[in-house]
Amino acid sequence: MKNNVFRNVSSALVKWFKAYPVLLIFIVLFVGFSALFSDRFLTTLNIEAMLKQFVRLMLFAVGPSIVMTAGSLDLSFVGIWMLGGMLVWLLQPVVGPIAIIVYPILGILTGLMIGIIQAKARIPSFILTLSVMITYWGITALLSEGYARTIKGYEFLTAKLIPIIPTALLWAIPILAVAIFLMKRTVLGPYFYAIGVNEEGAHMAGIRVSRLKVLVFTLSGLFTGVSSIILFQHLGGSIPVELNLNEMNEPLVAIILGGTPLMGGTGGPQRTILGAITLTVLMRGLNVAMLPPIAIELLVGVMLIISIIVGSRSLNKAGTEVT
Amino acid sequence: MKQAVCDGKSVESKSVQFRRWAGDNMSLIISVVVMVILIIGFQLVNPYFLQYQGIVSLVYAMSYFLIAACGLTFVIMMGSFDFSVVSVLKFSALICVTYIEQIGMWVVPVALLVSLLIGFINGIIFTKLKVPSFLVTLGISIVIDGVALYMSQGFLLMMNDEVFRSLSITFIGGLPSIFYWAIAVLIICTLITMITPFGRRILAIGGNPVAAAHSGINVSRTRVAVFMLCSFLAGLAGILYMAQWGGGSVAIGADMTLPLFASVVAGGTALSGGVGGPHRTILGVIIITWAQTGLMMMGFGQDIQVIVFGVIAITMSIVTTDRKRIKIIK
Repeated sequence: MKNNVFRNVSSALVKWFKAYPVLLIFIVLFVGFSALFSDRFLTTLNIEAMLKQFVRLMLFAVGPSIVMTAGSLDLSFVGIWMLGGMLVWLLQPVVGPIAIIVYPILGILTGLMIGIIQAKARIPSFILTLSVMITYWGITALLSEGYARTIKGYEFLTAKLIPIIPTALLWAIPILAVAIFLMKRTVLGPYFYAIGVNEEGAHMAGIRVSRLKVLVFTLSGLFTGVSSIILFQHLGGSIPVELNLNEMNEPLVAIILGGTPLMGGTGGPQRTILGAITLTVLMRGLNVAMLPPIAIELLVGVMLIISIIVGSRSLNKAGTEVT
Repeated sequence: MKQAVCDGKSVESKSVQFRRWAGDNMSLIISVVVMVILIIGFQLVNPYFLQYQGIVSLVYAMSYFLIAACGLTFVIMMGSFDFSVVSVLKFSALICVTYIEQIGMWVVPVALLVSLLIGFINGIIFTKLKVPSFLVTLGISIVIDGVALYMSQGFLLMMNDEVFRSLSITFIGGLPSIFYWAIAVLIICTLITMITPFGRRILAIGGNPVAAAHSGINVSRTRVAVFMLCSFLAGLAGILYMAQWGGGSVAIGADMTLPLFASVVAGGTALSGGVGGPHRTILGVIIITWAQTGLMMMGFGQDIQVIVFGVIAITMSIVTTDRKRIKIIK
């Protein structure tokens, strides 16, 4: 009898780990780092740094992870964050603190533009959004005249409320909740999954694929825009003019690591939380281990490749043609 | 039946024929028109544009870029994408500058072999593990960039090896030798596309990989070969780039990905694959590098150039993509 219970529990655990393989990685990493660097890893300082990094990854990744469930990619988020900040910096002296509204507006417009181009002109989303991101970076550099600009007057957004927990995390909770609600409790989630699994099939089943694709990019832009309001203050209140591709790669790794496959069909923001936590633990752990920053950067690339390989295992069986 | 079709054609008036031809070759027409406008415009703004010095500087700006773009063209023709071109270029250039003092001219084969190896890894991960090519190459390029940063420690590295530098800057017939390298690569690549079975296979895979596999083409092997060819050309471009400038840091080519991609699509090689070729890419390279030089001459900074290339890349992708053929786009 006891044996039976044990077997049931263990089989349930195995099932769980099969569904969420990243959980295993997370536990191993967390326990490993805690044991190896017990004096440095589980300190309040490090935990606070981890939470901060987690918020950064999560806020960047929430929009793109919705897009990825529908099988497309959205890399424009870094561009929205940079260009939006520069527009806020330009408009703030003219219209006052309300200028922050530029972020969501820019996000929606960008998403709408990408969605319409993608649905009508049918060019691959990764190259389209990458071009948009780089173009936005160019406009940012043009508007800023080559200097990183600091925006003042929004410090209250991330003013310290509770010790250890960054205020940005409190802001991230409602944003995430809305995103997860949209994916889990509205009809949008299943529609996006259907498009991700089989676009043609979804079309034949009467789903308006083009319209939903425009919607998914617009949603992504909106979420990125809203997140950026918190993010720019969270990241020090200044807008850089140098494009750092790691800003793009790390959220991407978090999404794929979390278990949203590149070809879509499953996953979403709720899975990305796991991925973001795991990546954060890995990066902070390596940081605590005193590895040179170059090595950590290198490992992000390795992680990207590994997580993609693991995440696209299902493609091998399905016989999908990958380009 | 055949007769009827022929009759139908002969009845077609000249204007209808022209319209059909124009519809089929839209991207070619656009690139030629843009090129002519650019030449005339810059010549009007700056009369030195097409003088000897101007042409030599254009050749310097174009040659290594053309070699790398030819490699990327093959990959895009096949319907895939390679992000790592710029990283491979940078890496092979850094190998040259770092080890030239220890092993002399042996750096050239070493750099080329390393490039081939990177291309092989790209191809193997792409074909065997079925990971989308742009993500494989994105991950690989992050890793290569990290190694390059580690090798140079972020310093500006200089070299002054006469023999090595003569690879690019020997003047023959009034033009630097890198120009002849680029022309040779262009001609070989064009011949590969046009007359070899390998070229036909690349276009067939780009057109429809499933149909290509059914008609007996070893799709995986061809894909690996194309990725190796692309990396090889990127490595060659890096060597010649280093010979041309005699120095560089990890920052070289940091923002070359977009112009490279823009020049390939501006030439008329569609992202959807199956059309185009290196002979078209030369048009795109001329447009992009001349636009770059011209914008610099008119006093516009890098930011404006980035915006222009972004707009060119998006517009030309839209123009070149054959929307009738593709059903699903990710």
